[in-house]
Amino acid sequence: MSGPHSRRAVITGMGVIAPNGASTDTFWKATREGIGVLDRVTREGCEHLPLRVAGEVRDFDPSAAVEERFLVQTDRFTHFAMAAADLALEEARLGRTVTDAAPFSVGVVTAAGSGGGEFGQRELQQLWGKGSRYVGPYQSIAWFYAASTGQISIRRGFKGPCSVVAGDEAGGLDALAHAARAVRRGTDVIVAGSTEAPLAPYSMVCQLGYDELSTESDPTRAYRPFTSAACGFVPAEGGAMLVVEDEHTARERGAQVRAVLAGHAATFTGASRWEESRHGLAHAVRGALDEAGCAPEEIDVVFADALGVPEADTAEALAIADVLGTRVPVTAPKTGIGRGYGAAPVLDAVAAVLAMEHGVIPPTPNVFDICHDLDLVTGRARTAELRTALVLSRGLMGSNSALVLQRRATGAS
Amino acid sequence: MTDRITVEELAELMKKSAGVTVAPAELRANDPGFDSLGVDSLGLLGIVGELENRYGTPMPPDAERSKTPRQFLELVNSALMTGA
Amino acid sequence: MSRRVAVTGIGIVAPGGIGVPAFWDLLAAGRTATRGITFFDPAGLRSRIAAECDFDPAAGGLDAEQIARCDRYIQFALVAGAEAVRDAGLDMERENPWRVGVSLGTAVGGTTRLEHDYVLVSHDGERWDVDPDRAEPHLHRAFAPSTLASTVAERFRARGPVQTVSTGCTSGLDAVGYAFHTVQEGRADICIAGASDSPISPITMACFDAIKATSPNNDDPAHASRPFDADRDGFVMGEGGAVLVLEELEHARARGAQVYCELGGYATFGNAYHMTGLTREGLEMAKAIEAALDHARLDGTAIDYVNAHGSGTQQNDRHETAAVKRALGPHAYDTPMSSIKSMVGHSLGAIGAIELVACVLALAHQTVPPTANYETPDPECDLDYVPRTARARKLDSVLSVGSGFGGFQSAVVLTRPREKTR
Repeated sequence: MSGPHSRRAVITGMGVIAPNGASTDTFWKATREGIGVLDRVTREGCEHLPLRVAGEVRDFDPSAAVEERFLVQTDRFTHFAMAAADLALEEARLGRTVTDAAPFSVGVVTAAGSGGGEFGQRELQQLWGKGSRYVGPYQSIAWFYAASTGQISIRRGFKGPCSVVAGDEAGGLDALAHAARAVRRGTDVIVAGSTEAPLAPYSMVCQLGYDELSTESDPTRAYRPFTSAACGFVPAEGGAMLVVEDEHTARERGAQVRAVLAGHAATFTGASRWEESRHGLAHAVRGALDEAGCAPEEIDVVFADALGVPEADTAEALAIADVLGTRVPVTAPKTGIGRGYGAAPVLDAVAAVLAMEHGVIPPTPNVFDICHDLDLVTGRARTAELRTALVLSRGLMGSNSALVLQRRATGAS
Repeated sequence: MTDRITVEELAELMKKSAGVTVAPAELRANDPGFDSLGVDSLGLLGIVGELENRYGTPMPPDAERSKTPRQFLELVNSALMTGA
Repeated sequence: MSRRVAVTGIGIVAPGGIGVPAFWDLLAAGRTATRGITFFDPAGLRSRIAAECDFDPAAGGLDAEQIARCDRYIQFALVAGAEAVRDAGLDMERENPWRVGVSLGTAVGGTTRLEHDYVLVSHDGERWDVDPDRAEPHLHRAFAPSTLASTVAERFRARGPVQTVSTGCTSGLDAVGYAFHTVQEGRADICIAGASDSPISPITMACFDAIKATSPNNDDPAHASRPFDADRDGFVMGEGGAVLVLEELEHARARGAQVYCELGGYATFGNAYHMTGLTREGLEMAKAIEAALDHARLDGTAIDYVNAHGSGTQQNDRHETAAVKRALGPHAYDTPMSSIKSMVGHSLGAIGAIELVACVLALAHQTVPPTANYETPDPECDLDYVPRTARARKLDSVLSVGSGFGGFQSAVVLTRPREKTR
């Protein structure tokens, strides 16, 4: 094993279960085309709520993705996670024969912002509707934030470092950074990412307290950051898991290196203090560039946080300008699928990797007439030579996070 | 309500409480281990809990440690027969 | 040469011990704080006992607005945090906020408030299509577990990396472990680390009832938590919060701060076995102990005390005994190993941090806290569990271990200030 200083964390596989596609290919096709899939909420028991539009994952059959027992034993957010992890591991060609040979070299890190809300609501209903003896044994392991990490680790036999960031949105990038650091410290592979399932009735009622939430009922108008019509964000479910691997290990086994997790930094500027997030975000970007050994002008594209709250949009546009200037192309494909809390920036990271590979910046669906000094890619995808991408995320509880991804030519080391 | 739990009822409970589908005929013919069926310790606790709620009577403590459906049925049915 | 990380302040809210002096009194005396549940009517539950905190947030310095806005587990963290920051002699106004981080763990976060409001919006469990008009104003803060680290970060002006960690019952150890990495690897100079949970509510009690993990010894609550004892019958639910100020050693020295001890090593692994089940061999926990020792550049023989997970379930205590023997070898038999859960119960994610504070105090007082209620040896648990009475002992390096649902196995090594050798 090589020393920590020489170890570099790279992405070798990506698995996506998103509102616009339950595979990396379908996700990318819809993302590149700028197809928006936000729609009225249809999940049972949610129709009457003042939160009308969301990004639902409709093209996903859990019974086809995971063993039958998990349908009873785990929540929807864990179904997404197990399915996405399978897709990522398959793409990375990391089958059981490889991982069983060195189980302590493979770990799991997820970010979880809301846990198994639907499962929890069902068990609360049993308890309060019928009595404590009607609470099932799986409540103890399905609702809590650690469920997805634990289930992936057990189902795939991974005994490496396992972690859970119970973060806000920015936690998704923090989970990827956790994974990168674990790889640099000596673990060969970490399966990392985030999936969320916050679209159950009680979970949605809980979210109504966020002032930043969009209650607009027209799906094409509900989430339009960086415009004068910005009226908040639209929540979503789904997410992505990535295989983060030591570059040397990956190349030894002939895996395709998709991108390097080159730099990350996180800061905190307070819940809903959006004006202050300008400095927090700028500080995080500088930290991430510094860790990546990257100059600001090397950033070829920014995947923005794009909250959709005027004050927050202004702060983000200014933070980007503060560090990178106003010429760098910026995009926010999440306007087409919604913000899946911790999962949102992980999907952005996937989109960034694919954008670099295809030389195309995907557009920002539903967004026109920008009211900030920002080169936001709207309408159609834009062709560009992309070597380095920056992903930004801010959370409703006040975290700011920045991740630098670099393209790696095949064969380079 | 019957005072004897059948293989059919156990199969239904395995599906409901542990998410494991298995044909009653298979349980009857081969008596496969709960382990090999994918019913873990929590699944078995769920089945016991469900039975206790249905029949309004506690099941013997050993029931949740049964290794096979046949062993399980013998234990719970002897408890029900004695009218515990 | 990597940066060294010191503990410069501690604070605690634990059952029977609000504040560090009261907490150490409890441990040193071997008293138990477990009792019949008073927070709600536990009729119908299998386990109706818990270690509750007699906690007055106003006496802890919180104002009316904080009390209304913050869930109980966050109140614990704020009060323990204030004690720790005061203890460290830190003036947060003088620190560079971008170099201050927060890393706090919780297993179940805002569940207690989530359950409270659920009852309102569902009309007592009747409606799936819950009624939004009955929800209380701060419900979204209970929904988001990141509220924990966020609230503490705001209170202490932290602007560096702020994280909530949730790895079940190892959350406390892992949150401190992540904070250790954060300071050691240079992302912050100070990190407010710890954990908090307030899980004594009907849903959490009921879900542990359903898996028979908690003790049904309702007739004798004071002696119900019996780690390693042959007659143990499950854990006793607890609650609480603990905070440790971690600080880069040179930063601490430069401002003339007290140094309780250093964080020597941390490691965590998954057992990839079962969400709640443990193996008899304890291989993965042993591996975590070995990796933490490696990180600390210590041999197993350097460990003078093991603070056990010691939950008091049949499987845990055997698993853990096997793991410690595997990692420390024959030295395990010469090393006292105790479980403070016998006294303060098992507060899920919080307990790992509470146990680390106990370790810091054990080093400071050169005293091993006992395992209360330990009477009858179990042949499969054959180490020195420090029965009932605290013991004076020379302590230079101590180990704290934990296991969590999901298969998490974590270990932290603390050492008295000295020059490292190996």
